[in-house]
Amino acid sequence: MSIKAPEIRRYGDSAILIDYDVPGYSDRVHTRLNHLAKTLRAQTIWQEVVPSYKSILCVFDLSALSLDDACKKIDDTLKKLSRSPRTKGKVIEIPVVYGGRYGPDMAAIKKSSGLTQSEVIDLHSGQDYRVCMMGFIPGFCFLSEVPKALQHPRYDTPRASVPAGSVGIAGWQTGIYGLDSPGGWQIIGRTPLKLFDKTRENLFLMEAGDTLRFIPSSKALFS
Amino acid sequence: MIEVLNGGTRATIQDAGRPGYRHLGIPQSGAADKLCFALANWMAGNRWDAPAIECALGGLHLRFNEPTTIALAGAEMWAQINGQNVKNFSAMRVEKGDILTLSFARDGCRAYIAIAGGLKIAEFMGSASTYLPAEFGGFEGRALRTGDTLAISNRPREAPRKIPQGYTPRLSRHIVLRARSAAEWETLDKPSQRHLFVSPFHASAATDRMGSRLRGDRIKTAKNLSMTSSPLLPGTLQVPPDGQPILMLVDGHCTGGYPRALQIIRADLWLLGQIAPGSQVSFRRCFTEQPPQILQARNSFYGGLIDGFAF
Repeated sequence: MSIKAPEIRRYGDSAILIDYDVPGYSDRVHTRLNHLAKTLRAQTIWQEVVPSYKSILCVFDLSALSLDDACKKIDDTLKKLSRSPRTKGKVIEIPVVYGGRYGPDMAAIKKSSGLTQSEVIDLHSGQDYRVCMMGFIPGFCFLSEVPKALQHPRYDTPRASVPAGSVGIAGWQTGIYGLDSPGGWQIIGRTPLKLFDKTRENLFLMEAGDTLRFIPSSKALFS
Repeated sequence: MIEVLNGGTRATIQDAGRPGYRHLGIPQSGAADKLCFALANWMAGNRWDAPAIECALGGLHLRFNEPTTIALAGAEMWAQINGQNVKNFSAMRVEKGDILTLSFARDGCRAYIAIAGGLKIAEFMGSASTYLPAEFGGFEGRALRTGDTLAISNRPREAPRKIPQGYTPRLSRHIVLRARSAAEWETLDKPSQRHLFVSPFHASAATDRMGSRLRGDRIKTAKNLSMTSSPLLPGTLQVPPDGQPILMLVDGHCTGGYPRALQIIRADLWLLGQIAPGSQVSFRRCFTEQPPQILQARNSFYGGLIDGFAF
C-alpha cells in the first residue's frame, strides 16, 4: 500500500506545512518524511526545515519567494522525490539505568501494565526506536512508538524539573530529555550520555532518522 | 572595556541570532526586537547585526572604562549618563568612567545598547546570541550581572548617525499584531475565531524571551483535539486546553503539542520583543495578498536606511 500524498498547507505568511494524515506512529510515513526533509534541507531556499512525527514545517524568505511559488516548489519536490532509502541512520546504543531514583515513574508503569520491573525493562529495551524529531529543547529526542503495554498518559501538571538524560513515556511516545527541564513525561530511567553538550565537538548525539537501542545498565554507570 | 554595575531585570548579549537549527531543537534566538536592535547598531556606526546588549524591563547600570560611542534604541527607560538625562533613539559619546543607568521600561519591554565596534563575544553555532535555557552563547551563556566586564571589539565602523525623521518606531503598551491563520485554526470554535480578532488580550507575568502567556477571553477548540508534537515558530499563537493562548517568541520551543491558531506576519515579528508583562495585545486579520506587500514596503523603507537589513 502506498502512502497517501501529504496535504500542503500555508502556515502564516512565510512557512508551509507538509502534513501527512496518519493516526499515531507509522514507520513508513517516518521513513518517507525523513527522506523528504533531507531532500528539502539540501535546497537553499528554505531557512528552516523542521520535521516532526507527521509533518514538516518549511520556512522561506517572503521577500524572495511568494507563498504560491513556495507551495509549487514543494509540490514539484514531492513529485520528483526518489524512493526512500532503507536506512536506519546511525545506530546509537543508549545505556539506561531503569527504575529506582533514576526512574521515579517506574511504579506507575508497572501498575498500569501489570508487569514486573524486569518485564517493563525487557519490553522497553527489546526493540529499536527511530528518532522522529528533535526539540522542544536542544537534544530532546522524540522516538517512535513504545510497546502497547507500556503506553501511559503524561502528567496533567508537569514536574518542575526533570534531569537531563531522563527516559520518559507520554502516550505512545518515548523520548529522552536533552537538558534539565520542566516536563510531564513518565520517567522510567536515565542515561548518563549527554544528548546535547555545548562543550563537545559533536554537539548532538543524534539527528532525526537515526536509530536508538536502549541497553539496560547497572547503577554503577552513574558513579 | 565595559563594567556591569547592575544587571537589572534581565540583560543579555544578542545579535541577529542562529537560524537554521530548529530541526535540532535550537531556536533562532537573537534580538527579540530586531528593528530597534538594528537601529541601535546603525546609529553607533556598526553593521546592523553586531553583538549588542538587550535590556529587558530595565535596571541596567554600566560603567565605561574607555571612551567610546554608544547608541540607545527600543523601550523608553529614562536613560541617564552620570545622572544627566540622555535621549532614547540616539547615539552619544561616553568618556572613561562615565556611568549609564537605565530606569524602568515605560512604553515597551526591551532597550538596546550598541557600542561602536560591537561587543567582543565568542560565537556559538555562528552567533553571539545568548540562549538562557541551554546556557550557551553571549556572555558565559547567562544574563549579565554585577562585576561582569565586556570587551569592545574593533570591527570596522562608520561615524555615529542620527535617525532621520519618520524612522523612529512608535512603541506603546498596546501592541497590535497582524496575523494569518496557522495549522489548527479550523479546529477553533466559531466564537473563539471571532474573539481572537476583536478582543484585546493582556500579557501576563509569564512573559519572557521564550513566549508570552496571554490573558483574555477563553479560546477553545470545537472538539477535544489530541495532537502529536508538531513544529512551532516565533510568532505562533498556541492554544492550550485552559484557553489562555501562548504567543511564542525568539527563544520559544521548536515544537509543541497544542493547537496552533495564528501566525504573526513576518513584518510584525519585531514587535513581539516589545511585549511587556501587562501590555495589551490585539490581533488583526491579514488577507493573503497583504503580507508580501507590507513586507516589501517595510523592507525597502528600513533596508534603504540600514545597509543589509530585512525583517
